[in-house]
Amino acid sequence: MKKIYCLLSLFFLTSIINCSSQVNIKDPGIPNLLVTQLPYHVAIIYPKNFENFTHEEKVIGRKSWKIDFTRSNKLLFNKIFSSFFSGITVLDEADSTSTLEFDLVIKPSIDAIEFSVPEQSQDETFSVWIRYRIKIFDNNGIEIINWPISSYGKASTSTFADEQDLANAAVLAMRDAAALIILQIEKSKKITNIISSMNRQQPL
Amino acid sequence: MIKQYKSTIITLLLILNLNACVTARIEDNRFGNTGISEGEGVVILAKSYHLGNDTETDFVRCVSSNISKGPSSMRVIPTNSFKNTLFPWFEPRTAPSDTKGLANLLKRNRVAEIISDNNIRYIIWLDGNTDSAGGGGSMSCAMGPTGAGCFGFAWWQNDSKYEATIWDIRDVKNEGNISAEYSGTSFLPAIVIPIPLFARTQTKACKGLSDQLKVFIFG
Repeated sequence: MKKIYCLLSLFFLTSIINCSSQVNIKDPGIPNLLVTQLPYHVAIIYPKNFENFTHEEKVIGRKSWKIDFTRSNKLLFNKIFSSFFSGITVLDEADSTSTLEFDLVIKPSIDAIEFSVPEQSQDETFSVWIRYRIKIFDNNGIEIINWPISSYGKASTSTFADEQDLANAAVLAMRDAAALIILQIEKSKKITNIISSMNRQQPL
Repeated sequence: MIKQYKSTIITLLLILNLNACVTARIEDNRFGNTGISEGEGVVILAKSYHLGNDTETDFVRCVSSNISKGPSSMRVIPTNSFKNTLFPWFEPRTAPSDTKGLANLLKRNRVAEIISDNNIRYIIWLDGNTDSAGGGGSMSCAMGPTGAGCFGFAWWQNDSKYEATIWDIRDVKNEGNISAEYSGTSFLPAIVIPIPLFARTQTKACKGLSDQLKVFIFG
């Protein structure tokens, strides 16, 4: 009997002092993009932290939250660029010297992540903001594009599923980033202009 | 054993089934003629949160489910599958905000092709949400070695305001909208056991709006 009381007290205490939550996003499930593919072969160089990206934040006066993006950012950009360009090759940062064979070199990165929970926003929603940065270089290593991509995702709360709701908001922010990147690429004439001028310079 | 608790279970079920009163107002505003042929489908989407809208995902699911069953039911394309197939053109940032935007989007051959292949006739945009506000009263609960109980009285106001806008994809035209306003006060009196009397405004708004949408689309 004493043992049961001890166990119950322990359970009660751990439930009180359990002040952090972790969210894992293994695969954001980004679908194929319905865009016209450009006939270019690009190289993508990811920063090292894309393999295991985590963001941790303590909500003042409340618990702390950790979002573990694992490889999901890599999956997101692979999906975006493989839908938009006919060929992609993922390079290590160490291989970045051998980029001459590609039409373009793309370097995505994350500038900042922020989120808000219902206690902060005073409504029944979780919100996530992710600011990505996309740098695009020509095959001579000259930077031609440097875009900040500020994406936003919002998910309404459901009963006893705070972690899942925050993960949904983060996935929506990633989908928003995909939409924004496609809009930017389609709007920008820079990419097509530069590649066509490169092709013109090549001897027949 | 079951017999012993039968009356208690029945009483509890009856208590949980009690509902507070809800007042309702539904209005429709028709601009054109509607109708739907056999095999044609509709898709139900929430307006973008980038435009300040926060329609609950559950509400969209509820309207989709109600429209797809019962009398005058119609084929409803699941929201997520529609958005994924046409990704990224119906995301909160990229979704058309008016029929002019829809016309521009349909100029993309693949988008028009997929919509036509799936025989989608109408897009129904949902806007609005349910709010709880203006509550009052107090209640306290206590637990001791011999048992637990609550005492007090609390109430709060539930307001559900939704609007459905119907776009005809075939004619690229806004056919009209339906607004639904449901409000009610929920009560929670407690003498040892709390007895919830919820005003289920969202559930009723879902049912009311779905029924009206069926009438609207079938003309």
